[in-house]
Amino acid sequence: MTAPAPLIQLQDLQKSYFNDGMETPVLHDVNLTIDKGEFVAIMGPSGSGKSTLMHILGFLDRPTEGKYVFRGRPTEKMDQDTLARIRATSVSFVFQAFNLLPRTSVLENVTLPLLYHPSIPASERKKRALRAIETVGLTDRATYLSHQLSGGQKQRVAIARSLVTEPDVIFADEPTGNLDSRSGMQVMEALQALNDDGRTIILVTHEATTAEHASRIITIHDGRITGDKRDFRRRVAKDGAALK
Amino acid sequence: MTMRTNDLFRMALHDIRINGSRSVLTTLGIIIGVGAVVLMTGVGRSMEGVILGQINTLGPRTIALWPGKGPEGGASIGSDYQAVTMRDVEALRQLRSVTDVAPMILLNDPATYGREESEASVVGSPPAYYEGVSLEVTAGRFHDESDEQGVRTVAVIGSDIARDLFFGRDPVGERIGIGDRKYTVIGVLKSVGSQFFQNQDTRIIIPFSVARTIEQRDYVDMVTMRATGDIDAGVADVEYLLRKRHSIVSPSDEPAKNDDFLVRTAQQAQDILGTVSLALTLFITMVASISLMVGGIGIMNIMLVSVTERTREIGLRKALGATGRDILLQFLVEAVVVTVFGAFIGLLLGVLLDVLIVLIARSFLAAYIFALNPYAIVAALATAIGVGLVFGIYPARKASRLDPIEALRYE
Repeated sequence: MTAPAPLIQLQDLQKSYFNDGMETPVLHDVNLTIDKGEFVAIMGPSGSGKSTLMHILGFLDRPTEGKYVFRGRPTEKMDQDTLARIRATSVSFVFQAFNLLPRTSVLENVTLPLLYHPSIPASERKKRALRAIETVGLTDRATYLSHQLSGGQKQRVAIARSLVTEPDVIFADEPTGNLDSRSGMQVMEALQALNDDGRTIILVTHEATTAEHASRIITIHDGRITGDKRDFRRRVAKDGAALK
Repeated sequence: MTMRTNDLFRMALHDIRINGSRSVLTTLGIIIGVGAVVLMTGVGRSMEGVILGQINTLGPRTIALWPGKGPEGGASIGSDYQAVTMRDVEALRQLRSVTDVAPMILLNDPATYGREESEASVVGSPPAYYEGVSLEVTAGRFHDESDEQGVRTVAVIGSDIARDLFFGRDPVGERIGIGDRKYTVIGVLKSVGSQFFQNQDTRIIIPFSVARTIEQRDYVDMVTMRATGDIDAGVADVEYLLRKRHSIVSPSDEPAKNDDFLVRTAQQAQDILGTVSLALTLFITMVASISLMVGGIGIMNIMLVSVTERTREIGLRKALGATGRDILLQFLVEAVVVTVFGAFIGLLLGVLLDVLIVLIARSFLAAYIFALNPYAIVAALATAIGVGLVFGIYPARKASRLDPIEALRYE
């Protein structure tokens, strides 16, 4: 019996940007394995390459060299449409700036990813979206327009939006960066609860205190992984208001 | 493509709704373009109807003859206004191919009644004139042969003269002044409006014998008649007779070159109207095309602004799994839907304005009726949708090619 393939496997991954023929290397020889169900924080100062790494992991960008195997399948040769399909079905994002559609209701915002999902029928969209909204405790706000919500509520809507397709992994890019500490706490509590339910979460942050909510912290400096620790005391976000 | 068609339309409607005023601005050019086409072609149709109606009151067999040169060339009007004489009229009466030959002498005197005065075109013509140009009376009668024989000073007056002099009272039996003579009103003509920009309701018809006595002349200003059979045969006979009597010889390739008279029929007037109307339609089409083109450029500009404003949204959608094609279709459908909206608003506005013009025009032109040109409307709507497609492509392509990471970072 063979062990199941890891969710994410990076082998000697390199990423460079090219500007007017000038090469700017961003990631060097990144080797990394992430299993299903992990809560990983990728931590590093700005310019360290952590966002680039997240973009590659989330199929928004491609590596210059090296291998990225996702759920046992190599991804180097996939075309743009296949990558879009993976984004639609297997990964999702929570952004620092929430990125909700303006003047659009919570329900419609949460439904948005389902428009691009190839196999979820239109008749199921509303049910799924309401379930996701319930998970983040915003059922009574479902008909509110996005600009009528507080920052913390907006980020919870974004989390509901990331859940609605039931992806293999949720990427959270500085999800507390635009929030006050209490709202930030609620968002971390929500992410921890999702991880407790078995979801894989990859958090990108430059703050150690935020990273400590994860169960594994990968530190990155100048495009190289400089640390990977699991044996620390995990912070538990507890506000009580975030989730029912 | 993973998106469904109804998702695309629902999304487009949502975006148009939340950007209400910008959507209207986007499509303003289309609204004006389509509205103008609908209005102008509708008015054109109505006017055509009015003019056609007037031509048809002349009767399809009416032939009119004037002394002077026609557009084909020949002598000038000034030198030949005496060209058609009573002897010509007598000769015309001998032709079998025409009947109701009615010579006409025009007097230019105002009509007076008491202290009231009204501009009038006074026509001296025999009773056959009424047959030739299909006139009707609303009160009283036409003058007849006995009035002609007796050289009686009687007058049949146009409806505008009746209104201006008598203010709704019955004019029949009253005496009006024309020049230095008094005439008894024996009939009032039914209103026919204008013919070729000349108001026919200011006409006063008096016996030909009376007009001849006043003017003391042998030449006439116009002759009307009706073809008994084929109208072209009638015209040919009239022309042949007059050329022979006036000893006119023209080159064979331009038979009318040296004519000192002009013969016209209602059919020819209709043909001229058809040509004018075609030219007008082409002109309107050209103006409308330019207007819709400008409208299209407006759509493109505002869609480009919209793409820039919604860069983050586009990045987000791509991050959520939208393909380039999904984004392309989203913006293209939005451009087309906003154009179709504009086109229908334009259609509505055009029809409303047309109705308004009808209401105003009817107050002085009874024959003006509401008309639309369905071909022009269909063409304008189709062109508008085409414009939305063509001018929507560039912004939509631009949107579809945005890099998701760059787009998400866009401030």
